[in-house]
Amino acid sequence: MSRGALKTGKSMRLGRQPGEVLDRSRQFVFTWNGRKYPAFGGDTIISALSAAGESVFSRSFKYHRPRGLLTASFLDPGCNVQVGDEPNVRGAHRKVEPHMAASAQNAWPSLRFDVKSANRYLERFLPPGFYYKTFMEPQRLWPLYERVLQRFAGGGKASPDAPHGYYDKRYAHPDVVVAGGGPAGMGAAVAAAEAGARVMLVEEEHELGGHLRWGDEEDLAALRRLGEEVARNSTIEVMTDSVVTGRYDGNWVAVSQRSLPRVEERLIKARTKTLVVAPGLIERPYVFQGNDAPGVMLSTAARRLINLYAVKPGERAVVLTANAEGDAAVADLERAGVEVARVEDARNGGDIGRVRGGQGAREVECGDGARIECDLVVTATGWTAPTSLLNMAGDKPFYNPAAARFFPSRLPEDVLATGGIAGDGSLDELLEHARATGKEAARRARGIGAALRAGIPQSTDGEEAPQDSPVTIPDLPVNGHLELFRGRTHGIVDYSEDVSSKDLVAAVKEGYDSAELAKRYTTATMGPTQGKLETVNAMAVIAEATGRSMEETGATTWRPPYAPITLGALAGRNFEPVRYSPMQPWHERQGARPLVAGAWIRPDHYGDPEAEVRNVRKNVGVIDVTPLGKLDLRGPDVSELLNFLYVNKWSNLEVGKVRYGVMCAEDGVILDDGVTGRLGPEHYLMTTTSSGAAGVLEWIEDWLQTYQPDWRVHVTPVTGAYASINIAGPKSRELLARVAEGVDLSTEAFPYMNVRTGTVAGVEGCFMWRIGFTGELSYEIHVPAAYGLYVWEALMERGADLGVRPFGVEAQRVLRLEKGHFIVGQDTDALTQGFGAGISWAIKLDKEDFVGKPELVWQGERDGYFRLIGLQPHDGSVAPPEASQIVEGKTIVGRITSSRFSSTLERSICLGFVAPHLAEPGTTVTVQLPNGERITARVMEHLAHYDPEGAKARG
Amino acid sequence: MSARRSLANLRIADCTPLTKVFVQAFEKGMLARDLGVEFGRAVRDENGTLRIGSGPGEWLLLAPPGSAPEVVERVEAVRAEEPVSVVDVTHGRALVRISGAKTVDLLPKVCGIDMSDSITPDGAAFRSSVAKVLTDVVRDDGEGTRSYLLHCERSFGQYLFDALLDAGEEFGIEIEGFASNNSRSPE
Repeated sequence: MSRGALKTGKSMRLGRQPGEVLDRSRQFVFTWNGRKYPAFGGDTIISALSAAGESVFSRSFKYHRPRGLLTASFLDPGCNVQVGDEPNVRGAHRKVEPHMAASAQNAWPSLRFDVKSANRYLERFLPPGFYYKTFMEPQRLWPLYERVLQRFAGGGKASPDAPHGYYDKRYAHPDVVVAGGGPAGMGAAVAAAEAGARVMLVEEEHELGGHLRWGDEEDLAALRRLGEEVARNSTIEVMTDSVVTGRYDGNWVAVSQRSLPRVEERLIKARTKTLVVAPGLIERPYVFQGNDAPGVMLSTAARRLINLYAVKPGERAVVLTANAEGDAAVADLERAGVEVARVEDARNGGDIGRVRGGQGAREVECGDGARIECDLVVTATGWTAPTSLLNMAGDKPFYNPAAARFFPSRLPEDVLATGGIAGDGSLDELLEHARATGKEAARRARGIGAALRAGIPQSTDGEEAPQDSPVTIPDLPVNGHLELFRGRTHGIVDYSEDVSSKDLVAAVKEGYDSAELAKRYTTATMGPTQGKLETVNAMAVIAEATGRSMEETGATTWRPPYAPITLGALAGRNFEPVRYSPMQPWHERQGARPLVAGAWIRPDHYGDPEAEVRNVRKNVGVIDVTPLGKLDLRGPDVSELLNFLYVNKWSNLEVGKVRYGVMCAEDGVILDDGVTGRLGPEHYLMTTTSSGAAGVLEWIEDWLQTYQPDWRVHVTPVTGAYASINIAGPKSRELLARVAEGVDLSTEAFPYMNVRTGTVAGVEGCFMWRIGFTGELSYEIHVPAAYGLYVWEALMERGADLGVRPFGVEAQRVLRLEKGHFIVGQDTDALTQGFGAGISWAIKLDKEDFVGKPELVWQGERDGYFRLIGLQPHDGSVAPPEASQIVEGKTIVGRITSSRFSSTLERSICLGFVAPHLAEPGTTVTVQLPNGERITARVMEHLAHYDPEGAKARG
Repeated sequence: MSARRSLANLRIADCTPLTKVFVQAFEKGMLARDLGVEFGRAVRDENGTLRIGSGPGEWLLLAPPGSAPEVVERVEAVRAEEPVSVVDVTHGRALVRISGAKTVDLLPKVCGIDMSDSITPDGAAFRSSVAKVLTDVVRDDGEGTRSYLLHCERSFGQYLFDALLDAGEEFGIEIEGFASNNSRSPE
């Protein structure tokens, strides 16, 4: 058959089945390994392939043995496939879609002829712990080993170019989460809803119903009735193709939800009041030689194929049965036209010795030695109770040898269990148990909910906790079952990791004789199925090898997630809040290059930062400084607060004046700086650094609420309330005068470090500060934010003839460096105490107390601290990169903290920290550049390289 | 100002023009008694102002656009014995209203608080993270329709609006005009 042609040949598709999930009116084509295959709506990838006669879907992890269908469910370890760019898709669960491109993974050059299958001939040389033993020495070869191992690693391929899907998160607060949507889960959900609870019913399959879905007419009728009951209750939120992946403290339950429109996968964080665990039972494989050959499958898999997907699992079958499910499988197979060559009834001593066949089962050797040709081997040898969620809730399930499975032991108040995990019985008995459990879950949820609501403000008085009596939950019978784990031969225990019973026995012989140790040594239970198929068999083999009982051996630990969850779902949507100033649209129109400064998006420059610097020095520039932190402080004790938080004095600040202040933490390290103005007798406006606004607010509130709760101070964050614009340059006064009203801008009436309130461009209530960061005459105006863009545009328009131009953060950095102003966090770090930063003029140790005083006193006394100094390289064309080291021989004696080329001075200028013996003006220091080259620089007299006297700013 | 009205099950409107006044006083003081609303609740007064107990000893008052002077005056007219500060934060905060039955589906995608009637009934007010932004959320139903006001620092407003639009896309969210929503706002 040519590639691209529709796969034809023997079809295994059956006629319409009563419980089938197919939409036969919707037939389409998809591709498997490049070939076209037909499918119906509702088919899974694997059911469609099986219907087309395919039986090999992957190669095993280590030995590259051909693998077929085992469980026909999400868990199926041999059915992981690649779909487009998506690796490790559960092919027996994922519904096939038109034009879907599915392919086998872990096989080369083809699924049928896989070169790496030669590994199976090396099996004797690949014992457990092979990696540990082989790749330990010599260490220098590890990179080579790593490349080889990566080449042999299983799994699909994730393309780095794959488009990022839309992943989502959601919080939920249901009264009851029911994990498992089989009959017991449905019954519990209905009973809980009827008792008034809001219920989340979570089912891993695409439809509710559990084993009823592939059952007989009676089962299907029961399923319809249950479905109607669920649908009648609007307080039940049904989630199919979803799975509870974990239960955490406080009954936080994680749910992975799939099959959503537009959303690839959603992680639901549900804080449920009660959790009902109703996952049913997972059929357990049987260990014997050849148990992983394609064509060997579980009874539930055969029944799913026939009843849900109308696929004939094979032509001639041998069935090993130890329970009713196996018996039902025999009936289903015969009804589907499969020749059942032999039924080995384990209850009567029947067994399977081994299965022979390369690409698929060919012959079975039965327990009595009889050899029977067949292409299908079905086993029904017992159940694993998926107690994972119970373990996560602190339960320690106990093993009941009579039933050959685990049962819940002691559950916390907010977790209940029902269904097969709790016991056996008829459908009616199970439903009776489930309904009582659901009702009790709702009752407990009411009590927990009432406790939660206590203390939450309500429109009416809080309700009292319900006093109703606990619901009596009937005991479920426990059916006896043979302990069938491994037959007389060795076979695969962990299908995902290719770990055999022989490997486990070998591990025990090497001394790894506890379940946890053997697990880690062999990697059994550590593959994609995470123990759900193999844990009990692994335990049984270890128990057999050690001569201990199952109870003594114990189970390995179940940890979340119960089912795989994508990294995309864990990450969720990309919430990265960003902040914009009111002038952002203008900046964007002018092509400003954005700078991400914390959450703020700011203009870094408008194309030519050097020209922006020159224009400020020559004419006038405006910069958007809205991100400056702004705090409105009110109350009679504000000056006390300022005196306490800043290192300088504030008690004598007059109304209309502003003052620069530096805050230190208790360890004397500089925390933040800024200018605070006194707007009224009990009203101040504090500015902080842009990045420090939130921290300073918390800092102030912390001191107010803990240290001085009696101080009468109210703090209101108003950063976004004002659009802040700095107008800087020799023509700034002239520009402001054109738009300001009601304020005399003359030097005499409005001197440096003063604040006035007035009207700007017709906007009332603007604050004008006569301060500057650039070293030029400048004004900082704070405009009610909604008018910010209007005022900005007015300044640009009215100042056009003055040469007004915007400048961005980069130009501001140069301007302030020329002026020698440090930036907290850039020129200081987490060790920079006050005196080191050159602010000794501001630190008033004669104040009675202030934050950081004891440390600063000590710093002043001990001296010896590094000092912030101005530096100029002797070669003015070289601007050493920031963080360059200052060295003496091989000793680091300082670092460059800020460095730029100054277009004003036409040379490079720096700020830096140096050891005290190098801080003397005129000292030559050595700066080591990142390329190893060393240059020399001169320590300047001032931090300021430009107008150190401040005449321009004060002018 | 748009008056676009939508009948969708999920609607969003920019209500930033509403007057917003932030009040601080003793939690159990004279002003608190006068305001008549405790932390975690919101009530509408006889002037149509929505009084929100936004924090312990903190209130947010929402009123029609341009009414800040009157609102401030009314609060300051209460001669409380304790220190009181009244700050017009109209320009400093963004305000978004989302309305419709699907709000209970939208909000859990961006906020971890239980939006059920039993925990956050009409008139509930709380401060939480909404799409990672610190937000004051007020349930303020109108005309029998579930509705929430979301109030955050102004500079985050555009981001929050966009995040809500994105989260609401699967529920068919539609944008309404402020004027349309203002019919439910304090008047």
